[in-house]
Amino acid sequence: MGGLQKKKYERGSATNYITRNKARKKLQLSLADFRRLCILKGIYPHEPKHKKKVNKGSTAPRTFYLLKDIRFLLHEPIVRKFREYKVFVRKLRKAYGKAEWTAVERLRDNKPGYKLDHIIKERYPTFIDALRDIDDALSMCFLFSTFARTGKCHVQTITLCRRLTVEWMNYVVTSRSLRKVFISIKGIYYQAEVLGQLITWLVPYQFAHDHPTDVDYRVMATFTEMYTTLFGFINFRLYQTLNLVYPPKLDSKAESELKAEHEEDYAMDSESYLEKLSALSASLARVVATAEEEEENQLDQFPADGEDLENMEAREKEQKEQEAQNRLFEGLKFFLNREVPRESLAFILRCFGAEVSWDKSLCIGGTYNVTDETITHQIVDRPDIDKQYINRYYIQPQWVFDSVNAKMRLPVEDYFLGVTLPPHLSPFVEEKDGDYVPPEKLKLMALQRGEKHVQEEEEDDDDDDDDEEYNDEVDDEDLTEEKNLKKMEDQRSQGKTLAVKVTPGKVKPWETGSVGNKVRLEKEEKAEEKRLAIMMMKKKEKYLYDKIMFGKKRTTREANKLAAKRKAHEDTSKAEKKQKKAKKQ
Amino acid sequence: MAAVKRLKRVAAAQPGFMSFKSSAGSDDLNSGQRKRVNKNKKKNWNKHSDIQDVEEFLDDVRLQERATGGLISEKPDDSLFFVDIGEQRKYVQPEVQEGKKGKKSKSRPLRIDLILQHDSLVPPPKDILAHQQPNAKKLRRIAENAEKLAAMGVLPRRQKRLLNRRPAVTASKSKTAANNFPDRPYYDLWGGDAKETADPYYLEQTGKKRVKRPEKLNSKPSVLPAVEVIAPGGSYNPDFFSHQALLLEAHEVEVKRERAELRIERQLAVNREDTATEETVFQELVEGLVEEEEDEDEEEEDVSIRGGLQQEKKTEKERRRERADKIKSQQKQAARVFTDKKQQLFQLRSIQATLKRGEQQTRERVAQRKANQEAEKSMPRRLGRLRFQAQDLEVQLSDEIPGSLRTLKPEGSVLKDRFKSMQKRNMIEPRERAKFKRRHKVKYVEKRAFREIT
Repeated sequence: MGGLQKKKYERGSATNYITRNKARKKLQLSLADFRRLCILKGIYPHEPKHKKKVNKGSTAPRTFYLLKDIRFLLHEPIVRKFREYKVFVRKLRKAYGKAEWTAVERLRDNKPGYKLDHIIKERYPTFIDALRDIDDALSMCFLFSTFARTGKCHVQTITLCRRLTVEWMNYVVTSRSLRKVFISIKGIYYQAEVLGQLITWLVPYQFAHDHPTDVDYRVMATFTEMYTTLFGFINFRLYQTLNLVYPPKLDSKAESELKAEHEEDYAMDSESYLEKLSALSASLARVVATAEEEEENQLDQFPADGEDLENMEAREKEQKEQEAQNRLFEGLKFFLNREVPRESLAFILRCFGAEVSWDKSLCIGGTYNVTDETITHQIVDRPDIDKQYINRYYIQPQWVFDSVNAKMRLPVEDYFLGVTLPPHLSPFVEEKDGDYVPPEKLKLMALQRGEKHVQEEEEDDDDDDDDEEYNDEVDDEDLTEEKNLKKMEDQRSQGKTLAVKVTPGKVKPWETGSVGNKVRLEKEEKAEEKRLAIMMMKKKEKYLYDKIMFGKKRTTREANKLAAKRKAHEDTSKAEKKQKKAKKQ
Repeated sequence: MAAVKRLKRVAAAQPGFMSFKSSAGSDDLNSGQRKRVNKNKKKNWNKHSDIQDVEEFLDDVRLQERATGGLISEKPDDSLFFVDIGEQRKYVQPEVQEGKKGKKSKSRPLRIDLILQHDSLVPPPKDILAHQQPNAKKLRRIAENAEKLAAMGVLPRRQKRLLNRRPAVTASKSKTAANNFPDRPYYDLWGGDAKETADPYYLEQTGKKRVKRPEKLNSKPSVLPAVEVIAPGGSYNPDFFSHQALLLEAHEVEVKRERAELRIERQLAVNREDTATEETVFQELVEGLVEEEEDEDEEEEDVSIRGGLQQEKKTEKERRRERADKIKSQQKQAARVFTDKKQQLFQLRSIQATLKRGEQQTRERVAQRKANQEAEKSMPRRLGRLRFQAQDLEVQLSDEIPGSLRTLKPEGSVLKDRFKSMQKRNMIEPRERAKFKRRHKVKYVEKRAFREIT
């Protein structure tokens, strides 16, 4: 045999990785610059599988990068710019020290700068790639735009972020693509569907900042630098798809209206223009003036059969629902009181086609006054209001958010002035079969189906046994179905003497509505399929199936327990309230 | 020479001419020997003619003009002479003294001014051109001509050249604006891929072609979504149960933390039995003094054992017996293996069962490992010295829940949430702020003023 002895750490994973410090030296950059470069280029540290091998026998925790990534970084033209900037700073400092003011000026004039356009193009080769990754950019820009201009970061960055977010909101309003809103204790979550992509972002509350000290502002600023570039290009493209002018311009009609009113309150023209845009009360100018959005994009009709047809129908139905949701607040006229969060409400209401206005002193861009008789809803968030108009609803802001999430105008009674509000449920939770569903949500779902709540309870009573009194309706339906199935199976196995009779179909009370009918039919079909499948099962599979079903039942049982608890809780709270009332009287 | 002489003679002949330097010229005039030089060459005129006397004369005239304002010989006698009538200064002096006393600085000019004063009596020559323009007529004509041409649209050459000059290149060297410039323009980045017209080989060789980004870099380091929505209990007006669930979660986190703290405390706690009492202290002092004898005994034993360990030589008989034992045991072993193999024939079923069990186990383990790997994709990795620390759960207690949006008090910081989210998604490694390290010790000195007071 013989041959040379293999040396350790000269092949394999040890050569695939490089430590951060070595990478930094290879690129001849300072640590801060290196970190910046990695963020801009989207190169992240990597945890090796066998640390000890990579670390040449040492187990000290280190930051590793893939060597190939660092080699790729060597080709980046920005690296040279970073070095130039370093030299520039050195020269500038020297000139300052020597008090050579002409030299300082000259250096300042020739300050090296860099562009990120090519990096964006490289990281996101197509527009859709970029759009998929916009969540981060949105959240970050919204966050930075709420910062105070106190020197924690560049004022210019804040202004740019504000501009971009305003552009984005205007786009969402014009394209009517908002889907969900959730007011949390952290901030407001929004979800929009842009070009088929679901985009979620978080907007902090205004004036809610205490600057945390354990956050690296430099890193955040670098991310923002990259994201603003990306975001701007995306905005441009999105505006193009809607035939809007970029940078956004107000409609000439709206502009002339706005111009007359508050011109003198703002010092700079550009400033007031951004404010006007951010007011969101006016529509945007288009490149080609179209006649009031007649382009209702309809699905192409293809001759199809079988499953395709079903899919098609489902899709059509979905689209119809979508359109209905987009016109949720159309024809309504809102007025925002000064104590409600103006920007978010204006944004949401405008997204669904409402007209919005506010007090003149609150913000620029209000189009009508409180005294306007045509106002249908006034959004108020105080216990009482002195002067009330008869022909409008005074509602709390939660009505708007809940209505958007429910995809329908909820009854206003629960949201009147001074009424205790129903809980604000998260639209981002999707319950699976058998999970606990809060009763508020059940009520809501019933409303969506166009039923009355009272009717449901009756239905429940018909089917249920005594021990399952607390079952909520969704679970009930499932359970009863299964029971029926079991019964049938039992009968079949006993003697196959199933009394099969064809009886004329009755129109059940819940099937009167066309929507209910469809739902019912679908369900029946599904149940049939399921039953057949169960029949065809092998013994082993059957065992597994039973196991799964047992698990499901357990979750239902738990859910039932929770529901019972809830009921008990409500009863006690009701009793307490009654007592309180009695005491008061 | 002759001319000079003639001039001198003329001057001297003039009536009443007086020279300042009376004795200067007389020697020169009477110099006897003259050098003979040919005067037919112009060079010699200058070289060998003596013009000193003429120059002196002219200097003298100039001096007289400067000092007295004209030739002294031409002056009237009154201006040159006066009649001496003795002491007249007597009442002039006190006036001067009075002046000295009163306005000393005002009356006397500074010496430097006196030096610089124009003391020549010859008036400066008048500038004739001050009030007239040379070539005025010509210039006027040129201007008229230019006007006429301008009216016709013909520009003079100079102007034409100015117009034709290229604009300065300062504008073309555009500065790259900062990336956070608020009004920065954007364009369609993804629209219209401009095709490379140049030769790809050329581009590659000259380093003008971008290196292709490795495909692996486009995969995200974590499968977690960019924005994780808070649990439904984090609503500003939550449903009772989801709020309770969130509270429970936060509670569990808190309990875990407390338990860890308690554990550390327990480890640090002092055991009461370990504290020194009088007895133990005394024992420690006496240690080694009392029981020396026993130690010695032990040592002796050790020695004896060591002596016993020395092996004696085996006898031939012993060896033989050992060999036989060995062979016997080997045979026994072989027989045992053989019977075992035979027995295995009857154990086939159980062996199969164990095999099956083993396979099942491997399958389970594979599935488990796969599941673990899946789960690991969404976990924060260890990327540096520090581990990822999740931020505190944002929770509002039941009595903190606001009744309305107006009274909502936001919880937590979105900035921190974003930062932690990036750490969680393995985009940046967790770090702690660099601590300020003092190189030299700070020296405190109390000022004397303070020291006196305190």
